[in-house]
Amino acid sequence: MNAKAQTCLWVAQRASAMILALCVLVHLGTMIYAVRGGLSAAEILGRTKGSVAWLAFYGLFVLAIAVHVPIGLRAVFGEWLKWKGISRELVLILFSTGILICGLRAVSAVFQ
Amino acid sequence: MKNFALIHRVSGIALALFLPLHFWALGQALQGEAKLESFLRWTDQPLVKASEWAIVLLLSIHLTGGVRILMIEFLPWRDWQKTLAAIVAASALAIGLLFALSSTAHAQAWPQKPVKFIVPFPPGGATDISARLLGQKLTDIWGQTVVIENRGGAGGGVGAAEAARAAPDGYTLFFPSGSVVTANQHIYAKLNYDPEKDFVPVTTVVSGPQVLTVPADSPYKTVAELIASGHAHPGKLTFGHAGIGSQTHLAAENFVYQAKLDAVAVPYQGEGPGLAASVGGQTHFFVGNLAASIGHIKGGRLRALGVTSKTETPQLPGVPPIANTVTGFENVGWFGIVAPRGTPKAIIDKVAADTKKALEDGGLREKLFAQGLAPVGNTPDDMGRAMKAETELWKVVVRERRISVK
Repeated sequence: MNAKAQTCLWVAQRASAMILALCVLVHLGTMIYAVRGGLSAAEILGRTKGSVAWLAFYGLFVLAIAVHVPIGLRAVFGEWLKWKGISRELVLILFSTGILICGLRAVSAVFQ
Repeated sequence: MKNFALIHRVSGIALALFLPLHFWALGQALQGEAKLESFLRWTDQPLVKASEWAIVLLLSIHLTGGVRILMIEFLPWRDWQKTLAAIVAASALAIGLLFALSSTAHAQAWPQKPVKFIVPFPPGGATDISARLLGQKLTDIWGQTVVIENRGGAGGGVGAAEAARAAPDGYTLFFPSGSVVTANQHIYAKLNYDPEKDFVPVTTVVSGPQVLTVPADSPYKTVAELIASGHAHPGKLTFGHAGIGSQTHLAAENFVYQAKLDAVAVPYQGEGPGLAASVGGQTHFFVGNLAASIGHIKGGRLRALGVTSKTETPQLPGVPPIANTVTGFENVGWFGIVAPRGTPKAIIDKVAADTKKALEDGGLREKLFAQGLAPVGNTPDDMGRAMKAETELWKVVVRERRISVK
């Protein structure tokens, strides 16, 4: 992989990490508010249903995970398992797609 | 520094394994029409709770390491930045742990000692029997004894006041009949509890229709004949009931109101004496609970004209719903669990879910059926909606029929 692609991955990894840090804090804060505030599962689902803001937020959350996780695993595979080459990249693309599909399916179910 | 990077990487690998599984299972649980019930069942599983704990802990650790790495890479490394990084990392960890504890601790720790159900009527009645039957099953599920404490008096007000003052820790729950929390506030001029402010709904345990009966030698063969007579002779029809504010009283008043009758209520000291008076022809009709009335009906001492449910009830085949004559009429009595306000939501959800589980037991269902009762086991939200609607209904009926206790 050339230097430019490596740089792109490095930037994507850091950018997605920053987004995830914010998303995790917002998600945890929301959950604490919901549980401590006595909101039931029905009330939570009632609020998220049809909310474009929640759809966008959790969509971004899942997208950031789908970017961040495979890049992190790529380094682990390369440094610890000495696994490099096209097979590694293909497996990681598949893994990333799997996360994206599963995550967006869950987000869509909360939204609908 | 190397330790931080290693911890960050290991927690990242673990998260990479957990998160896709978590997303997939969450997506599965939220599919279909009954997504809420499916979601609640999913969140109640020990494996899911453990996985939530693990993800929160791993996220906290991963975030701590990640924030530190970002700080080092993007900012010149000075002392104040070290401190800031540590504060941010520690805060992230604390928030994660707080979340994990807040969402699961109550439900996991409860119950650690016997749970008390306050029943606001004496032993032997339908409310008491329902509470005891459910209590036995919940004792098996929780591994802690469910103690039934009968606190009768003031139309359920004595027990309600005691339950309202109990600590909201989940160890004291209130097991009333519906009227105690939906009608008494309209009937009693002074009440030493507030059904809406003092309690939160947990679950409706059982419900059951009542049956409109007349003495065996009564000239009325149908609900229509009884209503026609009432319309022809206003103020002449009389009906007995088990006491002001009791379910038999409210059911009869609701019938009288909706059938636009002018009838006189005659209170008795309980349902048994009221039914006995009806058998003896002292009152023209009685709207009683199935369990108390069926013996008289099958023994030929009372004639059943109609049931208060919208459809026929299996215990009395051939007896039509009153709704066939009075369009839209329905009056279903119920017994359920409410909790002192402030009881943790996790405990409320657990009691509701475990009650539903207990009510699936075939033996318990048979015993309830013998009492003329059907298991319900709905969610706190569903119970709350039903209570609200019923409260509005009784407000109108009580006002129109001028029912009051000074």
